[in-house]
Order: sequence, then structure tokens, then C-alpha cells
Amino acid sequence: MVSLTIDGKSVQVEKGTTILEAAATVGITIPTLCWLKKVSPTGACRVCAVEVAGVERTMTACNTPVKEGIEVTTDTPALREARRKIMELMLVNHPLDCPVCDAGGECDLQDSCYALNATKQDYSAILERKQIRYDWPLIESDPNRCILCEKCVKVDHEIVGCDAIEVVNKGEDAIIDTVDGKPLNCEFCGNCVAACPTGALITKPFKFKGRPWTFNRIPSVCAFCGAGCQIDYHAKDGRVERVTSEDSSYNNGNLCINGRFGYRYLHSAERLADPQLRGDSGALAKTDWDTALSATAAKLKEIVARDGGKAVAGLGSPRLTNEESFLFRKLFSELGSANLDSEAGLGFAQAQAQMQRRFGFTGASKQLDALDEAQAILVFGCDLNAEATGAEYRVIKAASKKDARLVLVNMRDVKLRKFSNAHLKHLPGTELQIIYALMKGLVEAGVALPAGAEIIRDGLAQLSMDELCQQAGVTVAAVENAVRQMTGMTRVAIVFGADLIRSADASAKIAALADLAVLTGSATEQGGGVFPIDAKNNTVGMLDMGVTPGADGKDIWGIVEGIEQGSIKALYLLGCDLSGLPDNQRIRKALGKLELLVVQDVFQGDSLEFAHVVLPAGAAAEKSGSFTSLDNRVQAIFKAVDAPGQAKEDWAILADLYGRLTGSTQKITPAGVMAEIKDSAKAYQAFDGSRNGAIKGGSAARNDAALAPIAKPAAPAQPKFQLLVGPIGFHNGTSTTRSDANLDVAPAGFVELHPVDASALGISDGANVKLSSGTGALTAAARISDKLQPGLLFAPSHFRDLNANALLKGNCNLVEVKVEKA
Amino acid sequence: MAEVVFSSWGRNIVDNRKGGEKKDVSFKLPATYDGERPLSAFIGWDGIILYNKDVDIPAMVAEYMKRVQAKYVCGKCTPGKKGTRVIMDALSGIMEGHGKEEDLDTILDVGSVLSHCKCTLCPSSAVPVIDAVTHFRDAFVNYIRGAKSLSSEFRYIEKYTAPCMDKCPAHIDIPAYIESVKDYRFGDSLETIRESMPLPSVCGRVCPHPCETACRRKNVDEPINIMVLKRSASDYEWQHGHLPPMAPKAKQSKKVAVVGAGPAGLAAAYYMALEGYPVTIYEALPLGGGMVAVGIPPYRQPRHLLQRDIDIIQGLGVEIIYNTRVGKDITLDELRQKFDAVLLAPGAHRSKPMGVEGEDKGYKGFLTGGIDFLRNVYLGLPTGMGKKVFVVGGGNTAIDCVRVALREGAEESVLVYRRSRNEMPADVWEVDGADEEGVRFEFQVLPTKVIANENNEVTGVELIRMALGEPDASGRRRPEPVPGSEFIIECDTIIPAIGQDADLSFIPADAGIDTTKWSTIVTKYVPLKGHDGKDLKDGMGNMLSRNLITDCDGVFASGDAEIGPLTVVACVGNGHRAAKVIQRYLEGKGVDLTDDERMEDILTYFGVYDKNEDVQWLDSASREHQKEVHGRERASFKNYCEVELGYANSQAVREAERCLRCYRVAMVAV
Repeated sequence: MVSLTIDGKSVQVEKGTTILEAAATVGITIPTLCWLKKVSPTGACRVCAVEVAGVERTMTACNTPVKEGIEVTTDTPALREARRKIMELMLVNHPLDCPVCDAGGECDLQDSCYALNATKQDYSAILERKQIRYDWPLIESDPNRCILCEKCVKVDHEIVGCDAIEVVNKGEDAIIDTVDGKPLNCEFCGNCVAACPTGALITKPFKFKGRPWTFNRIPSVCAFCGAGCQIDYHAKDGRVERVTSEDSSYNNGNLCINGRFGYRYLHSAERLADPQLRGDSGALAKTDWDTALSATAAKLKEIVARDGGKAVAGLGSPRLTNEESFLFRKLFSELGSANLDSEAGLGFAQAQAQMQRRFGFTGASKQLDALDEAQAILVFGCDLNAEATGAEYRVIKAASKKDARLVLVNMRDVKLRKFSNAHLKHLPGTELQIIYALMKGLVEAGVALPAGAEIIRDGLAQLSMDELCQQAGVTVAAVENAVRQMTGMTRVAIVFGADLIRSADASAKIAALADLAVLTGSATEQGGGVFPIDAKNNTVGMLDMGVTPGADGKDIWGIVEGIEQGSIKALYLLGCDLSGLPDNQRIRKALGKLELLVVQDVFQGDSLEFAHVVLPAGAAAEKSGSFTSLDNRVQAIFKAVDAPGQAKEDWAILADLYGRLTGSTQKITPAGVMAEIKDSAKAYQAFDGSRNGAIKGGSAARNDAALAPIAKPAAPAQPKFQLLVGPIGFHNGTSTTRSDANLDVAPAGFVELHPVDASALGISDGANVKLSSGTGALTAAARISDKLQPGLLFAPSHFRDLNANALLKGNCNLVEVKVEKA
Repeated sequence: MAEVVFSSWGRNIVDNRKGGEKKDVSFKLPATYDGERPLSAFIGWDGIILYNKDVDIPAMVAEYMKRVQAKYVCGKCTPGKKGTRVIMDALSGIMEGHGKEEDLDTILDVGSVLSHCKCTLCPSSAVPVIDAVTHFRDAFVNYIRGAKSLSSEFRYIEKYTAPCMDKCPAHIDIPAYIESVKDYRFGDSLETIRESMPLPSVCGRVCPHPCETACRRKNVDEPINIMVLKRSASDYEWQHGHLPPMAPKAKQSKKVAVVGAGPAGLAAAYYMALEGYPVTIYEALPLGGGMVAVGIPPYRQPRHLLQRDIDIIQGLGVEIIYNTRVGKDITLDELRQKFDAVLLAPGAHRSKPMGVEGEDKGYKGFLTGGIDFLRNVYLGLPTGMGKKVFVVGGGNTAIDCVRVALREGAEESVLVYRRSRNEMPADVWEVDGADEEGVRFEFQVLPTKVIANENNEVTGVELIRMALGEPDASGRRRPEPVPGSEFIIECDTIIPAIGQDADLSFIPADAGIDTTKWSTIVTKYVPLKGHDGKDLKDGMGNMLSRNLITDCDGVFASGDAEIGPLTVVACVGNGHRAAKVIQRYLEGKGVDLTDDERMEDILTYFGVYDKNEDVQWLDSASREHQKEVHGRERASFKNYCEVELGYANSQAVREAERCLRCYRVAMVAV
């Protein structure tokens, strides 16, 4: 500890603490403007200048560490004079458009001028106006308003790791611009805009939507990925016009494009606003709730009475709140059906079940902030940027600021590649070989084996490192390097995602990955944590609520088969978008056979064509309830605006239907449902009202020494071309394809292919390419990218027009395709 | 001798404008800028030096501030960005005849606000302006009252520098690369380094870092660990598997040959290749790196990283032909015919004799020289070393020999030096490293005789104790033998490591290439003289400002063979300059030095660092030290594992945050 005095008060702080932080501990506020806690200090504005006895110049409090015995003075006439003059210099040629500036009323420059008494202007310079960048998508940059605090540049580089903007030019011409001077081309997370203290960076969707103080600010949780970022909806006149996040939030105010701009889907023309019923004419017609729900209840009762509960099936959604999923499950119990599943049944649910069996946790073994403290992080089969950006920010922080070693196992050069100390870019389908190679390397490097794990040593001894590496298409040296990054570390975090979870024979691979986690100690209390990733916001909560096949229930493919065979007569699609599912042409065909298809959704989707009843639902901003993040944080959301037209919250629809089916008149509310959940679903507890909600209990991990037996893995066949279908960072699920903001920067589907393949096929960048598999075909513009590997193509899963999912078969996200020039 | 008309340099005001008794003051500045044009004024971070009263000081400082603002102010702090612009516009207004006297007060006021700046660039640039306004106020007032500009025939040349950057022989933009590390931009940092240093992994490890002797942070507490920060930037690229971003320009038709793949030859090749010139390097050894590869031990410079730097250079299209000695396998004349330019950078690989009785007898166990011993070890050739090794010398090569001898299995490794430990030319950390590994030192002794047995095998060496006598030319007291103090040390191996020079026998006598008695190649220079009429020379006794062209057309020289045996970084800087001169030669633009190169040399001579400067700063962040392997085991048999392990990235960032960013701009009127 270091002792010092600040303004006569004695202070004791850790070595390395800055004067600014030290002052804060005793309630002394030193003025700042460019300082932003979450990034490295810049020292640009100079208003935090303080005096230190014995040093004949001012020192900036934000970036000067304390020293034993120093006497700091933060407020003297000389300092006040200096700060005032600095502010006056800052205002030289600053535009006077505060009345129409978006930042007016929430501008740190205005506040600082006021606080530091910069009320006149003694200095002048020749006025040269800089060009306002109207040509950037989503974000507008007015360099004239910029005070060059560099917060945006630092957030972009240090938090997002995107490096799209920087300080360019010299002297008074110095501005923040894109690195190449071209229109902004980045991840469009908008974190730079949030960090901007003035109106230099503003978001286009919010421009001129209103003065900041006229909006209602409703705390909520982002409803896109599972990172569970805390957000605020800014609503006025029944519309959400902005989403922000405070730096004091769990996610440090950092959002991604979906969190910041995805809300625009609320205003989509494709919103469902009225209940609809398929009439005798065979066409869907608008109706009222009573008619729609009584028809639904009657038909369901009729089918159950005739064919039993087993003739009914439901597909839920990870978008719904815990309360809603709980009601959905309850409704199905009432119907006597265990045929309940969701897109989590494509792999995540099974992966989670394995983790639960092996280690005793659901969700993740630790909370996401444990990533900050990891010494090494293995990111396996996961494009974290697309699957859980909030988690990626933490990995970037750990790797770049906290010396964590990053090992990336991925078929592609995903964004984390540039931060990784080792990248095993393996051949498609060879995840098991990689896991075994890493295990073999770790055992050879002498990691402590848990008692009873000797079997693993023998098993691994039978495998040849050369052969594993050769099959996986990586070098032994690369594996050794990856192993080196993880040896000798107590806190090794393992993050894995869709490319493992939805790979062929995923179950065996995940079992092996669990064994690897035993070797790294990741799942133990002291370990770095195990983080299975799913790209949807409430997958963990939905599974906790039991939206998963019951003991004798059918899973998603069983349900499809049941419909095809005629044993399932009624299907309830709750927020389940057909185009988000693999092999969806088959599913589509099956839907036509149903006696009753209930579609309860936020948007018009492909299943409407077959729906008998359409129930319009509210989106996340339009309801209350709770979400469980991928790391078990159960957080409350609050209704910001009303759903459009007659649309209602899903819980209200389900409650109404439940009443009609059971004859119960009990009033159901989200709070009431949560109380019920607390009683029946393990590990949930009532909210204590805090912003961070509650951590779901019961995820205490245990290190299980019962390792899976190791057998020599078979080398997977390597077809000439394979298509990987997955998410990209600009979208989440199909929801954001209804957001004009997201579409502004990622308007349509495409197919990525490696330059080697492109040249072999004579396909140039932007030309159309046709892909076909056993289950479907698509034609899209080609993007040539060396981030892939020869033979591997990639198509985004979000776009309904592209419908890349249709080419997939079963759960696997990788499929053999034929590739042609279109 | 030109008289100083006015000087405010170093806050010492000398004003000889008004007659009266002349005050004498002198500066380490050449009398002329380029051997012809007199240097009439010099302004910069510490004031104004005026040699010619006709220089229009208001016009000069107005121009100075304009250049500082437009070309160098980073814009990354408010007073600097805005304040220098306010001053610049005020000065321009005065020069254009619409200034007011209050503007002079504004300039002084803003000048004082600049003291709160982030770095020294803007405050130091305000110094000559404030001095001008203070001491030449009348001249400004004349402009304000409508006087037209004096027809000034002076040309202004400015140079952006920093003490560390000036002291670095390669003139790397050190504050910039440190700032990039501070900002977690290791890639940008390396990009800056490579603008002046194509062997970053080497100079991030083994550089004697003269820059750190000129670090202003030293005036606060300890210098910035500039070298290890360079290593951090370099290692980051390698450790993250990033591809170097450089791409050569479109291919040129004229070709260049380089003799020697050492630091100078590689550096020259790198910069010429980037410009698109096809470069072929002829290397006598079977591997590249020159003295780095065959002189510096792998525990200091891992070979795979040296090779990575070489591979990157080759990746730009440079061809290296190994095992080819110019003068033997191919003649210089053939090279001249085949190529449009030839750069001689053969290095200094020849051991100097010791001058001891018995050294020429061919005794078994008496090795030819330290540099030969090390080369044989690294090339895997027999060395002739026994178990009790005796190394003579006090430089880094001698230290490398004793430390390598331990790793080659010597039971005893002894270093003898005729002066004391403090006077050893070897780097202190190298001497300490040898000490830690168990090397025995014998100081203030001189070998006088090699002792051998009847089989002509070395069995020992006779030594005599030395005492300090009168100071010699270098100012050090000359050690002199103490009569009767002879004694004998038993040993079976003697390695003289007292110096090396270049073997220039490959240059035919009729080539028209002049060489010196120290076996260096003579190159052309700018005839700069001091105000005392003496030639200006560099620290090695060479003419200060050289363009590296020999007397033979199309043949250039660089590296140890041109400078004299020095350092990797000196050779890289010298090779970089050679590349630029060769490019101008090939493009028919003449071989004269550019303004930038001239100013570089003038400033180096002038000195940018002031060790007496009272630097005000809070000394609350102490120097970060890299991790290091300790203990004698690190020198165990065949253990060449790296001893110093570099910084963790977070540590590098902390160290970078200590940098005071001491940029400044000098300008001359000629």
C-alpha cells in the first residue's frame, strides 16, 4: 500500500493506483473529460492537472501513479486558471450548433465548460470547417465537434478490437477518421458513439428523434445473444428510439450492433399486429383474440380428446422469457404432451446435458467476468464475435490487457485470430483429433492427472501425435505451441460454440472436450471456467424451464417425423422461425399435413402459409419477465413500449390459452410465474430488485475423474466442398433481418469461399455462385476470403431469402455441397 | 570565427546586437550547413542561436510555428493542438500586416498554457517563439505597424527529433513506437520500428541501446527500457503468428549487389527491396546475419528469431547467395559489371593479434581469436578448446567467449583484462551475466608470455600486474606494468579477444577504393568544419557527415568495414543511409545528402539530449525489468536457451507509459 495526501486528506491505496483513482477513494472529484475508466488513460484534455509538492509542473491525475508520501493539491487558483484556459482553447472554433446537436443535454463538453467556468473566449484561430461524414452507414461523424479525447478510438481498439478509426492528420487538422479515409466499415457496435463526450459521433437512427431528456429510460436486458448485456431502452410516444448501456453495467456499457441497433426490428413492417384465423375460404383472416384463442383451445381439446396428448407437439424459442417458457411447458403438461423441443435441440441442449452429467453445471460453470481473470483461454469451434459478442469483448480484454494466452481452434480465421497466440485451423470435422492432440500434448507436458485418470494416459499413448495432426491438417509444432500456452496455468477457460456443438458426432467430441477440461482443471472452483455458447439470449433459461423433450417425448426431428407419419396432428410454433431450422424444406412440407398449426410470433414468417391460427406477440421491449444469460445470470426485463396493434405479450397469450384449456380463472402475471418457477425449477430465486438480478444457483462444478475411454478417431472423409452455415456478427438469428439498421450494413446473404476454390471454379468476387446439397440449393453472391480454407465454404444462417439452413441435414451445421458458377 | 549575434540557448542570454563588450559563447554547430552556405541561425527547443543579424527573426519563428503545427503537432492534447494553432495564426497575422500588439501578449499567454501539454513538442516549440517575442519585440512591432517583410534570402530547414531518436544510430522514431505500445498497438509499433530498423528481434535483444543514455526520463529516475519495448513489439508479431505487412513497390530494372549479409548489408537490402530494387547479397558464410550469427551467442539472440528477420527480408525479394566470398568465388569487378551498384558491407571478422611472446608459435590450445572461436562454435566446427579456458580482453566479444566456453564444457573460464572492471568496454549487464554464470575475472593484469610444454601444447600463461599511470589520449589513465609482479596461471586454452577489423583484401588495389590504416573503407563526406576551423568527426573518428560512396563509381560502402567495428544498430543506420544514397544514385538524382540527412548529422553532433536538464516530473513509476533466467544452470553444457525473457505485454504497456515523449523541432536558416 502507498500512503499520500490529497488536499490534506490522507489516502492509502494499492501501488500503481492513479492519483485520480486515489482521490476518488476519499470523495475528492478531480475534473476529467477524456478519461474513460474502461480504457487506458489518454491524458489528452489536461483538465485533470493537479499539483504535486516538489514537482514544478502540473501532473495529470488520470495517468500518474501515486507515490509514497506525496502531497497532491487538486484545487488552487492556478489550477482553476489553467483548466479554464485549457477549456477556452478547446472551444476555439467549436461549432455553436448545440441547439440542434444530438448530444445537447448529455454533452460532457457543455458540462465541463460550465463546471470549469469557461464562460468567455479569449483565444481565436482562423476558422476552417471540416467535412461532416454523412457517407458512413449508421454513424455520422462531425469532426468539427470533436475534442480529440480519443475515447472512441480507444474503445474501438481496446474493447472491440476492430481498429476502424484512428487519429489522422497533424496539428489543427487532426481528426478522427477511418484508417483508410473511406466510409466507415466496421462492426457497427456503436460503442464509439456511446463513448463520445460530444456530438462528434452520433447514430443516424437516433438523429433528430428528440432531446435526450424527453425520453423514458427503461432498464432491460438485451434480447439477442446469451451474453445478457444490460441495456436501457429510450422510449417516447410508444416507440423505442435508442438503446444505450451504462458503463457501470455488468457489460461495462459495451454492446454489439444487435444490442445497439437491433431494436429497429420493433418498427418493422413485418410485425404481426392482429390475431388471424384460417377461414373456410382457406385464407388467413384477421380476427379478435377471443375468436382466435377459443378456436385454438377448441381444436387442441378436440385433437387431444381424439388422439391423445401425443398428437400435439410444440417448438419453443430461446427468445422468450423464463416465465413464458415455463407457461409453455405448463400448457403442454396440461395437454398431456411431452413433444416439446426448440432449436436448442440441434445441439446445445445435448451439450449442456453432458456438462451437467460430467460437472454438475448448466449454463456455464462460472460467470463471464471470470474470463477477465483467465490465464489462458481456449476458444473451440466458436465464432465468438457472432455467437456472443459480449463474451468476445472479455476475451479480447483478457488477451490484450491481462496477458491471458489465447488458443483458438477454428476452421476459419475468425476475428479472435489476431489476438490468438495459437490458432489450430483444422480440417472440417476433425475436432476430435484436435482435442486428443491437445490432451496428449498436455499429458506429455506433465499436467497433473486426477486420481483414477491413468487410463487416459494409456489411451493417449496409443495415439500417434503425427497421425492426429496429419488427419486434422495442422502441424505438430502448432499443437505443441497451443499446448505450451495452456501448461502451467491454473485458470484455463474453455469456451466452445456452434461449430463444435453442431458438428457431426458432436456428442463424442464434447465428451472428449470435457475430458480436456478435466486436464486443464477448467471446471473446478479454482479453474478458468467452462463456457458453452449458444447464440440466442435465453437458451439456458428456456432449457431450465423444461422446454425440452419429456421422458417419452419426441425431439425436433421426431416431431417432424411424427407429422410426416401423421401421428402428430397439432403443432404449436412459439417464436420458432422455420427458416432458422436446418433441412427446412422438409419441415415446410410436413407442416402442410397438420390438422392444427398454431403460429405465435413477433414477425410474419414462412410458417404462416400453413398456419391455422396466428397469434401476434410482443417483442422483448414490449414485455416484462426475466432472461437467463448463458452464464446463469437471471436478470429482469421491463416493458418499455406496447406491442403494435393487438399484439400481446407471449405470457399473456399463453396464460389466456391455459385458462381456456383448463377452465382455471386464476390470474397469471410474470411475477406470479417467477414465484412458481422458484418453487419448481431448481436454482432459481426471486429477484432482489438489483440490476444484476440473481445468479442461478446449483452450478457448482465438480471435477469428474471418470474420463471417457479413448479410441483412435477415424479420419473424416473430406469431400471436395463443404458448406458451413452459421451466424455473422451483423445479425442475431433471423430477428435482426427485420431491423433496417442491421440491414443497412449487412443487407443480404452471400457465400464465402477460399481464393483457391474461387480461382479453380473461375468465380470472381461478387459473382453469383450456386450451391446444392441433398436437401436444398441456393444461389448467392460470392465473397472471396482467405479466412476460410480450400474446400470450405461459409454462408450466413440469418437470411430467409438465402435460406442457407435448407442445405443442412439433421443437426450438423456442415454439409457436403456441389459448387457451380451461377 | 563567426560570432554569435544573439543566443538564448539554454536560458543563457547573450546579446551582442547593441555593440559594447562582446560576450563569447560557442556551440557545437558547423560554420556552414553544407560546406558552403553559412549557417546563419539555429532555433529549437532551448532557444535561438543567431549568427547573422540579417536573419528576420519574426519571419523565422512564424515559419517555424507553421511547420510545427502543420507537420508535427500530433493533435492528441488540447493545449498542444489548439494552442500552437492560436500562436501560429497570431504570428501569421502579424506577418501579413493585420496583427495587433495584444497578439504578442496572447502568444506569451498561450505559450505559458503549453506547459500543461502532454509531451514536450509544443512547449519546447514555444520556447524560441517566446524568446523571439521577448527579445525581438521591436521587430514584431515593426510588422504590426506596417513594415513590409525584409526580403529574406534565407532558406529554412527543419528537423523533427527527440533525444533518444537522435542518439540512436539508426534514428528510429522511438517515442512513436513507445506510444504505440502504450496504446496496445504492437503492430503499429513494429511498423514504426521497421521504418528504420529491419532487424527488430535482434536490436530488441542485443542492442547496447545508446538511446537509453539519452533518455530524458533518466533525469527524473531511470531511463525507459527502450530496447525491451522494441523486443515486445517484435515478439508480439511472432507470438501471434501475424504476417509482416510490408510490400515492396513496383519492380525496378536496375540491380544492386551487396557484399555481406550482416546487419548493414541486410538493412540496405531491405530498404532497397522495399523501393523495388532487385538485390543480391553475396555472403561468404553459410548463413546470414553476419556478426550477429557468428558473434552473438544464441542465449542472447535465438537463431530462429534472427532467421525470421532474415526470412522477412528475403520475402521482399532479396536473394542471398551463401558460401560465396567476393574476391575469391567472384570478383568485385564481376559484380560491378553485373550490377548497377555495389555495396560493400563485409563486416569486421578478422581477429587482431595480441602481441604476446609465443602467440605466433602455433601452440595447440592457442586459438586465433575470440571471433574465430565463437564462429566455429556456432557453425558446429571444431574449436580446439580444452577444459581450462583463458580469454584476454574486456569487450563484449571477450565476455561472449568466456560465457560460451562454459556452455561448451569448460571447467574453468577466466577473463583477464588489463584495466579494472569499471573500465571494461563490455556492457555492464554482460559482465554481470558472466559473473553470475561463474566466470573468474582477473583485472589489471597483462599476459606477457604463452607457456607451452614440449608437445607444443599450451599449459599456461604468464601475466604481469598493472597499475594506473598517466592519462592517455582517451582520457583514461594508462595501465602500466608493475615490475616484478609476474605470475603464471595454468590453462590449456588461450583465446585472445582484443578486437577485430575488416579483411579488405578482396578489394583490388587498382579499384580506386581508398582504405584507412584501421582497415576501413573511405567514403565521401560533407566538409563540415566547426567555428574553430576543425573538421567535424563522429565518435569513431570518421568525418561526421558521409554519403557512403567510395571513390569508385557505383561502389558504396557500409557497416563495420566503413565505420570501424561498432554495433549492430550503427551498421543498420549506416546501411539504411547507404540504401537511400544508392537509390538516388540509381535514379540519377545525385549522391548528395538530403536536408534531412544533413540535419540528422548536424543534430547528432550538436546533441539533442542535455544531461543537466532539470526535468520536472513525478518519479512514481519505476523502470520495469524483464524476466530473466538466473543461476549457473543457465550456462550448463550446451544450454543456449535464451537468458532474458522479455516483458509480459501488460508490463510493456506500463513501461511505455513512463515515456515523456520528448519530441522537439530544430530549424536552421541558411
